Amino acid sequence: MKLLTFIRSNPLFFLGSAMFFFLLYIAFFGKYLPAIDTKLKEVDFLWTENKIPLAPPYEPSEQFAIGTDRLGRDLLSLLVLGAKETLIIVFAIALVRYLLAIPLAFFAHKNKFGVNVVLNWLNGFLSYIPTIILVILLATLPPIVLSKTRPFYLILIIAALEVGRVAEMIKLELNQLSTKEYITGGNSVGISNFRLLRKYYMPFLYGKLLVNFVGDLGKVMFLLGQLGFLGIFISHSFIQTDTGAFGFKNTSLSWPTLLTDAFRDLRGAIWIPFYASLAMTYVIFTFNILAQGIRKLLK
Amino acid sequence: MGWDFLKSSFVFVIIVIGFIILLLAPRIMTVHNLGGYYTPKTEMTYKENIQAFIHDFQTEGFGENRYGTAVLEELQAFIKRDLIIVIPAFVLSIILGTFLGVVQFQFREGPFGKIQAFFSWIFSSIPDFFFYIAVQYALIKLFYVGLPQFNLYGNDQWYSFILPMIAVMLYPMLHISKFTFTSLENEVGQDYLRTAHAKGLRTISVLKHMLWNCLGSLLNQTQFVMLYILTSLLIIEKLSSYFGAGYHLYGSIINNEDQRTLAFILPYLLLMFMTVIFTKVCRHWLVPRKSGDSR
Repeated sequence: MKLLTFIRSNPLFFLGSAMFFFLLYIAFFGKYLPAIDTKLKEVDFLWTENKIPLAPPYEPSEQFAIGTDRLGRDLLSLLVLGAKETLIIVFAIALVRYLLAIPLAFFAHKNKFGVNVVLNWLNGFLSYIPTIILVILLATLPPIVLSKTRPFYLILIIAALEVGRVAEMIKLELNQLSTKEYITGGNSVGISNFRLLRKYYMPFLYGKLLVNFVGDLGKVMFLLGQLGFLGIFISHSFIQTDTGAFGFKNTSLSWPTLLTDAFRDLRGAIWIPFYASLAMTYVIFTFNILAQGIRKLLK
Repeated sequence: MGWDFLKSSFVFVIIVIGFIILLLAPRIMTVHNLGGYYTPKTEMTYKENIQAFIHDFQTEGFGENRYGTAVLEELQAFIKRDLIIVIPAFVLSIILGTFLGVVQFQFREGPFGKIQAFFSWIFSSIPDFFFYIAVQYALIKLFYVGLPQFNLYGNDQWYSFILPMIAVMLYPMLHISKFTFTSLENEVGQDYLRTAHAKGLRTISVLKHMLWNCLGSLLNQTQFVMLYILTSLLIIEKLSSYFGAGYHLYGSIINNEDQRTLAFILPYLLLMFMTVIFTKVCRHWLVPRKSGDSR
């Protein structure tokens, strides 16, 4: 009974958590579901009724619930198997961003190391130039392209580019908190800055940070989708083929990779970009609803 | 005002220079054969790259594209197509957004306002690329059923700009609407409203007064709206094969055509700069001053 009243008074939180747990379930246990082809078999051709071999991609049908990609792999299985990687990347970017933003915000608030100036310029720069252009410019730098740990660099780049926005938000919160009397109390006792941040400021920020963090997860997913259309992924490997030529090979299953050929697919196999971006929209919705729900819950 | 203008111009110049520095980082790689191993290496160092760029720029300006057309010439054609989308999208998203915000505020307690709030929240969570693809998918299905066909892609028809424009302006419009709603709500309970109501002013006139007072915080959002439109434009132009400057900007970055990239991004940066200046001018002339404030 208590649970029911809780659900009724926090419907958004409940809906958001349900959607989130469904997402987690798909990401971690989806591969055990019966309809999922874990081997991602590539169907080279199918016979039509008139005995004509038909090349992939195939439309949504009984055999393929939401169609196949251009290699003839079942799209539903691809989406389910790619969910884990996609979610991990999204979480990693947001987490790195917040871990960087908290100390930066504190330094900016204390006016130390010129962090304020750096953040202002970063924010000014990003309010002029679209983030995706900067990501493209940075991601195509040779040291990063050739690096074996490219995914980490890319996660760091995407996280760092928008760190200014988050740090600015946290800084404003810190500025507001610093007028409170207990902070003055802490200062007059003479505690260290680190302790001040950890024990005096942070406990009042966790709620706000959580709401913003969950909201940011949606934003990161959106940005990754945009980058997918432009052919920039977090993970692909740089390989050398037999003849000595170099090329990129896509080794990842994450959702944005399905969007690379979107501009071509739109004219034929529109279900590929449609369902891939539908999956992303689901993630964005989940995190938006959850963020709203948590905000209401904490009020 | 003059000082403000100078400061904004200075920031603009620094941002352009910053972008060029980032752009000129050496990217072109060639493969060297070092005793059996093929290793890719960058062709030029950073310094050489910058020198080459300056030299090229002095001798040939923005240069020619791969097919021998002057970049500035092609840019003129492309940017016109971009502006057909960007300017209506910008104006419409601000006007319609404000209007929707006011409507939502006026009916906020009734069911109509609640439904509107729900839908604007749903639509602002939908990423623009999904919206665009979903509309395409729906239209293709409708063509099968019997909707008269029209051209969904490209930029040849007079109506080609409409679908990309809607996709691009959807989110900024809802953002402005949400913002208008919140700032109108903040005005509730102010003394001047009570006076206005007591004098028997009609609701619409009261709303006009309130809106005037919210203008300051609304103007803060113009830069964001423009940036969002330009960002989405890159993606939507690629999806819709609408060959504007955004479409070619991406191509020239990937092909390492430095001068061409600069030529194609400059109009974007200029649009942003104009938005900033436009906002400042609007704020200077239109926004009412609170008592005691100095300009």
